[in-house]
Amino acid sequence: MSAVLIVEDEKHLAHGLRFNLEAEGYTVDIVGAAEPALSLLLEQRKLYDAVILDVMLPGMDGFSLASNLRAAGQFVPILMLTARGQAEDVLRGFEAGADDYLPKPFELSVLTARLHALLRRREWFHKDRSDPREVDTDVSPASEAKVFSFRDITIDFESLELRSGVQTIHLTLMEADLLRYLVRHEGKVVSRSSILEDVWGLREDTDTRAIDNFIVRLRKYIENEPSQPQHLLTVRGVGYRFVSG
Amino acid sequence: MRVRGRRRKSVAFFVTLGSLLVALAIALNVGWIILNWREVALLVFGIIFFLLIIFGLVLNTTFLIREIRRNEQHDAFINAVTHELKTPLASIRLYLETLKTRDVDEAQRRDFYNIMLADSDRLLQTVEQVLRAGRAGHRRRRISKSLVNVGEMVRECLELTRVRYGLSEGNLTYSESADAHDVKIAGDADELRSAFSNLLDNAVKYSDDEVRVSVEVATVDEKRVAVKVADRGIGIPSAQRKRIFKRFYRVPGLFMARVKGTGLGLFIVHSVVQKHGGRVFAESAGLGHGSTFTIQLPRA
Repeated sequence: MSAVLIVEDEKHLAHGLRFNLEAEGYTVDIVGAAEPALSLLLEQRKLYDAVILDVMLPGMDGFSLASNLRAAGQFVPILMLTARGQAEDVLRGFEAGADDYLPKPFELSVLTARLHALLRRREWFHKDRSDPREVDTDVSPASEAKVFSFRDITIDFESLELRSGVQTIHLTLMEADLLRYLVRHEGKVVSRSSILEDVWGLREDTDTRAIDNFIVRLRKYIENEPSQPQHLLTVRGVGYRFVSG
Repeated sequence: MRVRGRRRKSVAFFVTLGSLLVALAIALNVGWIILNWREVALLVFGIIFFLLIIFGLVLNTTFLIREIRRNEQHDAFINAVTHELKTPLASIRLYLETLKTRDVDEAQRRDFYNIMLADSDRLLQTVEQVLRAGRAGHRRRRISKSLVNVGEMVRECLELTRVRYGLSEGNLTYSESADAHDVKIAGDADELRSAFSNLLDNAVKYSDDEVRVSVEVATVDEKRVAVKVADRGIGIPSAQRKRIFKRFYRVPGLFMARVKGTGLGLFIVHSVVQKHGGRVFAESAGLGHGSTFTIQLPRA
C-alpha cells in the first residue's frame, strides 16, 4: 500500500482527492500549507511514496516547497497541481524539482494514472523506457544502463545515485531522466526541443532556460570544471551532446 | 518570482538612469556657471532650461515606475482570478467524476452535493465580483434608485456572511443605535448589498485565527447614516489606508500573501459608495491591531 501526502489548502479539493485515492487503496495524509509539509517530510522524516503538491499555497508556495525538499535531500516523487498551466509555469515546476505536473481542472482518471506512473517509475527505472515492450518482457537486471560508469563517475539509475569519487549525490527523477536520455544518445547532438518532448513530454516552442538550469546542475555533478565542460557539451544554437571519453 | 525579479531589476535600472541623468545635468549646470559666471543673461536662461530638463526627467521616471507597478498589479490580479475561477471548477469536476465512477453511499453523496453547491456559489461570487468591478469603472452609469432600509440590509448581509463562513453570533455581532432604526437611504439595493458584503467578507478573511467582527449602524447627523465594520484582524499599515481602495491594489507583504484576494473588493465598495454620494474610509492602529471601515451615506 502506497502512502501519499496531499499538500493543498483548498479543503474541498483535498478531501475529494483523498476519497478517491483511498478508494484506490492508498493511505492519504493532508496538510494545508507548505510549512507543516516541510516539517513532516524533513523533521519527522515521515515516509511517503509520492506528494501531490498545489502551487498556490498560503505563505510559502509550492515551487519553494519543492526546491526546499530537493535541497534538503528529500527526493520523494512530486506531482504538482496548479491553476496556471502555461509552459513557463510548467517548466518552473520542473525546475523546482517536481516530477510531474497537472493543470487544474484535471481529470480524475488522468491524475490517478499519473500518480500510478510516478510510483511505478522508480521500479521501472532500470529498464529502457524508450522501448515500452521491454517493460513487460525483459526483466533481466543486466538490461541497458542500470548503472553507467565513465571516468571516476558511476551513475546508478535505479537508486538515483551518482557517485563521483568518494562523493555520493542523490538525483531527482527529472535529473536522472535527463542524464539517462543524454547517456543513451551518447556522442549525438540532442536538441532542446527533443529533450522537452522526450524527457518532459512537453510539446512547446517556448525558448526556455529551464533545461539549461538542469544542465548547469548536472555539470556540477559530473564535470571537474563546470565552466569548461568535458562531457556535457553545449552545441551552440542546437542543444547538447554527451561524451564519456 | 522570476518575473517579479526581472521587473524589480528594470525598475532599479530606470531609477539609476534617471538619477544619473539628473546628476549629470546638475554637474553640467554648476560647471557652466563656474566657467561663465560673467554672462548673467545666458546664465539665467541656462538655469531655467536645465531646471526644465531635470523636472522632465524626474517626471518621466516617476511615470515609468508607476506604469511598471500597475502592470505588476495587473499580473497579480489575473493570477488571483485564474485561481479563483479554476479551483472551484476543479473541485466540482472532481466530485462529479467521483460520483460518476465510484460507489458512494447516500450520506457521502449528500455531502458531495453540498460541497459542489458551495463551490458553484464561490464561482458565481468571483464572476459577479469581476463583472461588478467592470461596471464600477464606468463612472457615469446611472444607478436605479429605490428606498433601502440600511439596518435591515446590513443584518441580511451579516446573516449571509455567517452562513458562508460557518460563524456563530458571537463571531459577528450587530448593534444599532436607537435613532438609526428604520433609517432609509435612496440607492441601488443590489450595489449597496455588495458593498456591505465586501466589507464583511474582508473583515472575516483578514481576521487572524479568531473572528471577532462587530458591525454598527448609527446616524452621524440629520443628513447622514454610518455603517461601521470593526475587526480585530491583521490591520492596515497607516501609509496604505487610502491606497487599498484603488483597483487591483493589495497591501504587499507576508500577511497578505496568506489571504487570497483579487484586489477588487474595496474598489467596488469605494465606487458604489461614491456613486451614492457617500464616503468610505479605513482606520487602523497599524499591523496586528485590527481595522475599522466606515461607510457614510446620505439619508433619504
